[in-house]
Amino acid sequence: MGATRSPRAWEMRHMAETLLEVRGLVKYFPLTRGVIVQRQYGAVKAVDGIDLTLTAGQTHGLVGETGCGKSTTARLIMRLLEPTGGEIRFAGRDIAHLGGGALRALRCELAMVFQDPYSSLNPRRTVGAIVAEPLAIHKLQPDRAARRRRVQELMDTVGLNPEHYNRYPHEFSGGQRQRIGVARALALSPKLLIADEPVSALDVSIQAQILNLLRELQRELGLTLLFISHDLSVVRYMCERVAVMQHGKIVESGPVEELYRSPTHPYTRELLAAVPKIPGDRRTITG
Amino acid sequence: MSDPNSDRGRGGVAAPEGQLDGDPRASALLRVEDLRVQLPTEDGLLGAVDGISYELHAGRTLGIVGESGSGKTVSALALMGLNPKHARVSGRIDFDGRELLALDSQQLRALRGDELAMIFQDPLSSLHPLHRVGWQLVEAIRAHRDVAKAAARERAAELLDLVGIPDARARLHAYPHELSGGQRQRVMIAMALANEPKLLIADEPTTALDVTVQAQILALLARLQRELGMAILLVTHDLGVVAEIADEVAVMYAGRIVERGSTEQVLTAPSHPYTWGLLRSIPRLEGGAAGHGPASRAPRDSDRGAVGELEPIAGRPASLISPPSGCRFHPRCPYALPDHARIDPALAPLPDDPAHLAACLLAPEERTRLWSKEERARLGSDEERAHLWSDEERTRLGSDEEPARLGDETHG
Repeated sequence: MGATRSPRAWEMRHMAETLLEVRGLVKYFPLTRGVIVQRQYGAVKAVDGIDLTLTAGQTHGLVGETGCGKSTTARLIMRLLEPTGGEIRFAGRDIAHLGGGALRALRCELAMVFQDPYSSLNPRRTVGAIVAEPLAIHKLQPDRAARRRRVQELMDTVGLNPEHYNRYPHEFSGGQRQRIGVARALALSPKLLIADEPVSALDVSIQAQILNLLRELQRELGLTLLFISHDLSVVRYMCERVAVMQHGKIVESGPVEELYRSPTHPYTRELLAAVPKIPGDRRTITG
Repeated sequence: MSDPNSDRGRGGVAAPEGQLDGDPRASALLRVEDLRVQLPTEDGLLGAVDGISYELHAGRTLGIVGESGSGKTVSALALMGLNPKHARVSGRIDFDGRELLALDSQQLRALRGDELAMIFQDPLSSLHPLHRVGWQLVEAIRAHRDVAKAAARERAAELLDLVGIPDARARLHAYPHELSGGQRQRVMIAMALANEPKLLIADEPTTALDVTVQAQILALLARLQRELGMAILLVTHDLGVVAEIADEVAVMYAGRIVERGSTEQVLTAPSHPYTWGLLRSIPRLEGGAAGHGPASRAPRDSDRGAVGELEPIAGRPASLISPPSGCRFHPRCPYALPDHARIDPALAPLPDDPAHLAACLLAPEERTRLWSKEERARLGSDEERAHLWSDEERTRLGSDEEPARLGDETHG
């Protein structure tokens, strides 16, 4: 509609602060044959040399279809998987091959919200225990009362009733469970939050609640958010910048509005064209 | 930038289109009247579907939209006689001159997969993993037609070709796991079409698929409908999918249809607060209604205008075991008045478009005004937004000739 915008002053201010820099990240999963003597005959190139730069305080989208490697990328950055190659620089330090205590310390600064709010919460533990677990693991706030206060504070932050501290996950709806997942992720006040399809298991009206919650938290806590989704509309709502992944590679990336307005890669164009449009949206008609 | 009247014009043009079918009562392929499905549970009787009525004509597509637990899938399963044994189903389902609820299981069996076919959300769990797809197609054909195996195989290959699977004859030998998700859904569609059904029920047919594949499957369904003239009952939570292929939409909430009408009308001039809520909960791909990054709100407002936040529907879906009194949506409705907890609205036609129905206690003109005003505000300035539904307005509405309005609602 309008002319291309000049870089915003606000963006300029943050330009310098890169929180996460991924260079040539590679993850191959070996394909093996044989039961006793295993021989490798190939590899699945789940992530095949990607570059990604996350600016502090921004929301970055990673979008792509099933099997494009977006979740593997998240797991690599979280260091839940060992990269086959490449660099992951977090706050200036290469974390691609950290181990032991250093990795443990790193995990205080990275957190993740998972897709399925049902399977990602232990059904036998109370909400209080689930949210407090990161604090327990990292031996923070050993004082019971203080820990409980912190947990209730977190529950309040994500819009849960702090009095429900002693309830079990099954007593909550899908949307509320996802809030528990978010509270747990925020427990250690991470710098980077990775949300892997955080709303795709939820109904539309609940989805909007969680998206707005993540936006608010991001704003208030100054989080850097890596938002992974297959849904281009949701990514547009959430993110400033977006990278489009296909077959383990990033085919195109840039500011959301620019990329959506004038996609250059044929795959991005195909993806954008495939999203069903709602005629009630008068902007769709004019645009 | 855009002329806000342009699409209202479109909506207006689209309205008479629904009436081209002549007398709707005479020609409806499927007529559902006051369908109720109750499921006994440990906590009491769960009213999954609570008195819904709709019609579907040959060659048309009706989209049933709703969130999980709204009763959309249960109502579709009732057509197929596939509800659990202990479910209590009542009402009338008239399908091509037959009363489906009166049929015994054998008669239903003969109908299912023949004149009445269904495709499900997850094609992997709907196909038998240990049989080749050709075998499964042949079985579907021979269950209803007395044909030789070779002829059925021939037909199976034709069907795979019809649904756009390349090298169909060779693919007959494939096992389900050897196919991609999109191809499996194509096989499911081929199987459903095996006996040229008059009605195809598609329950979330594209929910498990990627967008590009979804677009292909939707295009396929539209093409097949054109070629074969079948009616499609599309059950989905996705308004985008409905917009793409449905002629008419029924929006379900807590076991009831709260709004029904042509797709164009319901999506461009919705007349029920729940439909508004759904439409405002969806991030859009284009235009100003989508947000632009959380941290950026203040600094970017000058850049993008004040629009942005999605407006989720407050609260959560109503319990179906003890549904709210009065209007079932009233606990979540931002426009609910005290009376709405008492009076149960009927689905009534709008004065300016009898084919467009809504079940709401607010006067129709009031709803039109609210929707267009909020739409303006959504696209307009913050000031206009701030004054939406002020207290003064609420009191005015409350005193607004109540009895007359209620009369309007109940005669439909």
